[in-house]
Amino acid sequence: MTPDTVDGVDTALRAQDYLAERGLAVAVHLTLQMQRPLFLEGEAGVGKTEVAKVLAAVLDTELIRLQCYEGLDVSQALYEWDYARQMLAIRLLEARGEGSTDISVGDIMSRDYLVARPLLHAVEEAAAGRHPVLLIDELDRADEEFEAYLLELLSDFQVTIPEVGTIRAGRPPVVVLTSNRTREIHDALKRRCVYHWIDYPDFEREKAIILRKAPDIGERLASEMAQAMARLRTLELFKPPGVAETLDWAAALRVLGAESLDAGVVDDTLGVVLKYQDDIAKVRAGGIDGLAAL
Amino acid sequence: MSGALTERIIRFGRHLRGEGLSVAPPDGALLLEATAIVGLASRADLKAALCSIAVRNREELPVFDAAFDLYFGGDVTVAVPDNVQPLPESAAMYGPSGEGETTGTAAYRVGGSHEERLGARDFADLDDAALAEVKRRLASLMWRPAETLSRRWEPARLGAKPDLRRSFRSWVGPTADLMLMSARRRRRRRRPLVVIADISGSMERYVEVLLAFMHAARGRLGTLEAFVFSTRLTRITQQLAARNLAGSLAAVAAKVQDWSGGTRIGEALETFNRDWSRRVTRGGPVCLVVSDGWDTGDPHLLATEMARLARSVHRVIWLNPLAGSSGYEPATRGMRAVLPHVDDLLPVANLSDVAEVVRLLESIPARR
Repeated sequence: MTPDTVDGVDTALRAQDYLAERGLAVAVHLTLQMQRPLFLEGEAGVGKTEVAKVLAAVLDTELIRLQCYEGLDVSQALYEWDYARQMLAIRLLEARGEGSTDISVGDIMSRDYLVARPLLHAVEEAAAGRHPVLLIDELDRADEEFEAYLLELLSDFQVTIPEVGTIRAGRPPVVVLTSNRTREIHDALKRRCVYHWIDYPDFEREKAIILRKAPDIGERLASEMAQAMARLRTLELFKPPGVAETLDWAAALRVLGAESLDAGVVDDTLGVVLKYQDDIAKVRAGGIDGLAAL
Repeated sequence: MSGALTERIIRFGRHLRGEGLSVAPPDGALLLEATAIVGLASRADLKAALCSIAVRNREELPVFDAAFDLYFGGDVTVAVPDNVQPLPESAAMYGPSGEGETTGTAAYRVGGSHEERLGARDFADLDDAALAEVKRRLASLMWRPAETLSRRWEPARLGAKPDLRRSFRSWVGPTADLMLMSARRRRRRRRPLVVIADISGSMERYVEVLLAFMHAARGRLGTLEAFVFSTRLTRITQQLAARNLAGSLAAVAAKVQDWSGGTRIGEALETFNRDWSRRVTRGGPVCLVVSDGWDTGDPHLLATEMARLARSVHRVIWLNPLAGSSGYEPATRGMRAVLPHVDDLLPVANLSDVAEVVRLLESIPARR
């Protein structure tokens, strides 16, 4: 069921253990009401992908995910013919004594021989009256050519396959696009979307997230962790830790049975939070004590 | 929705456009739709809703915030004094380079802060004939851009990889008698170029030619990521895009705040690595660093950051105007620190040096 107020969205996300800031709840609400794609940007590990997963759970629908990478093309994103099956079909027809010149396009170029990739799958699902959540993840990794194609798809949600025909989504699927900003996405694409920049959570929200995702971590340790994360993010690190790292850290501390953040524990687990040697060295040089609980 | 509110939202959209946000006239309808959806009960929600429509960039957020507060009164946190003027569009889009200036007032620069601007050089009165000639020669420099392999495929003659998709397509239909195999190969694309140039005091005499070179290179290659620094790093990619050189130079002069200051190469590279590297080093670029290596910063930091830069690009070429003079030894502290991480060290003091640089750039192979 689609929530129909901002508060409704907020509550529904919360029920799925996603604690959204108000601005994100508003953006999600607009996406659902205006039927426009949601474009999420933010540093790695702030929960962009998670929004799509949680949305699929909220709407009780399928999540279709397209992971972008450089060189992603139509045969990986949209559809591909099933060559092995086509070959078999041709062989079969030949064995039955029919010459290969008699084989018509329809024999081996029908929907049966098509492998639907995420985009076609999403359009087909939407055309069938189901409303999947389509996640186009890390769009910045794909190249401009793909972006141009996406622009076309997002504007009318129909796919034309010359041999098969045109498939049109009645009501468009809920689309979530994410970008880590390794390059700027073209304005024309963003223009079709509802944009939201997901920032690092503030202290209160981060603490709430820790307690929500790792309840046995305890109030006190959660506070100390949230404080330490906030401090780490002010250090101008090469890769400041995101919420994903916070949760990894919580898991690590639980495994170690830590009850508070003393210097020893922080030192042992720093590699869970920071993923660059230079960053680790910088934090060590600045003094672990600054992160540990006072 | 009342007519007055509609009017107000539309005018707000127009106001944002004036502030340099890319809010096109049709977006006005979207702003109205968003307003109708979230309603007026909560000012914060209205703000978030309009923001999600009008903003397309993190850098635009402070501009939007300031504009919203200004326009939708209520609790006006940003008073606009008489002596402010909106920044030029480009500056508003990309904001100042950090240092806590991107607060609510980022869209405005108070007229009193002319100090740094007075230090900015006036390019208009540089009409030296020789300089003009050098610029002309640079602009007409012939240049075949180096290539690299794309992850995309293109049709090829046989001998490359088989292309099943095209093969099957060609095997059905009336012309399908000949079952020829189609083939594909990796497409080639231009290798990107990133230039990071020193414009500190000691480089002063070279700066204008340097910018002319960057402008020419951009014209030749189609794209070029360009940064300049003396005490801080400024991205001038957008400014170099102007068709004519004079326009580009004026735009750069307006953008850069630290002409001919001291040199902190290490800090500049650190900023580059932290804030820009991941956004501009896709596709295996060649990185040109132009500096004489007179560094007043920490040589250890410089070495660390240089090493990181070298790891994130295909090749680092250091251009030093002094390197051409006879008996030059890379003796400055800065040069000694960076040398282990530099692939090539070349002089750039005259036109033939530049031609040499271009030849080197052309010779970089597509594969490692």
